[in-house]
Amino acid sequence: MSPIDPRLQEALDGERDPGELPMDQREAYDRLIAATQVLTAAPQLSVAARVMAEIQQNPAPALAQGPMRRVMRWLGRPRAVTLRLRPVWTLALAAGLATIILLLWGPGDGLTPGRAEGIANFVGHFPGARSVEVVGSFNDWSRGVLHLNDDDGDGIWHAKAVLPAGQHEYMFVVDGERWVPDPLAGRYVDDGFGAGQQNALLIVRPAAVQP
Amino acid sequence: MVNNGAPDVEVVARVLGGDGEAFGILIRRYEPGLLRFATRMLGNPDAAADAVAESLVRAYRHLAQCRDPVRLRSWLYRITGNRCRSHLARRHTNDISLSEAPPLADGSDAWAELERSEQVALVERALAALPAEKREAFVLKHVEGMSYEEMAAVTGARIPTLKMRVHRAREALLAALEEVVR
Repeated sequence: MSPIDPRLQEALDGERDPGELPMDQREAYDRLIAATQVLTAAPQLSVAARVMAEIQQNPAPALAQGPMRRVMRWLGRPRAVTLRLRPVWTLALAAGLATIILLLWGPGDGLTPGRAEGIANFVGHFPGARSVEVVGSFNDWSRGVLHLNDDDGDGIWHAKAVLPAGQHEYMFVVDGERWVPDPLAGRYVDDGFGAGQQNALLIVRPAAVQP
Repeated sequence: MVNNGAPDVEVVARVLGGDGEAFGILIRRYEPGLLRFATRMLGNPDAAADAVAESLVRAYRHLAQCRDPVRLRSWLYRITGNRCRSHLARRHTNDISLSEAPPLADGSDAWAELERSEQVALVERALAALPAEKREAFVLKHVEGMSYEEMAAVTGARIPTLKMRVHRAREALLAALEEVVR
């Protein structure tokens, strides 16, 4: 094995035009380049499924963040909660909640749903946010249509809207750029984009059957 | 909702924000190169797949420690290079055996012009015969197309050292190729 001429090394390092090389070195250059091109063929393998399966068995990666942020993330993550209630208590609870809602947002809100419509209440806790709006299947995911308000500056944002009765998917858009599923929604569905993101799910009951 | 063409920094932020599925985007983006690199280093596709899978899981778990996500590619190659070195160390040799030399997926036109399959095997044999550090330098430079600066970030070696390793690897390969021409 003999040393390669420095000019050939320079050409292989991209520091010299290979066209300037003498004929014998040009041949050596072409031979080495052809050899490296052979080696660039990618193996017909994939470990993606294996890696993702292993990742899914583990929680999110260890984050370099404080305990408070971890607590907030834990609080904000949807979790299944099983509640066992006797039917009679369920009815009583529903009636109680309906009464509270009527007292808080009943007459005087200016919203008059039709027979096949209902009133949706959107509430989110976003302290420090400059703006919060709702986008969803009911407004073609359009921005600038339904804004939440935080008149007293306590970080709790509200909005109400008359929506067609039925099931709707939605997300909050915070400060015009951060899309967040409603942490209080209780129900979520995959957004269908394949990245594991979820939309919050809202069920609007027709006003005619609302208590 | 991370778009598949999103910059690494954005995807990393989503993963660190709890969107573990977004890590799939990074896998799809870097898996082919990492597998090629590990296969050339270890000479065995199965061992390479193990090394890359372990590296990617490790990268996921320690993603918050990637201080500069703009250079995510270098960071992933560094982890994979370390796994390959550990694998070679367990085998008590830096050389990969000829019987383990990987079959290539296809031959390029350029190679077809040069010679036939015997010479393909010859290149692999010459590469396999190099010490691991020279093989690594050559593969990063000529197969993965890295600059010496990026190679330094991947290997931790100084640029003059890397240049010397690449030069020596070229000499060995060229000598092996000329043996056939004669």
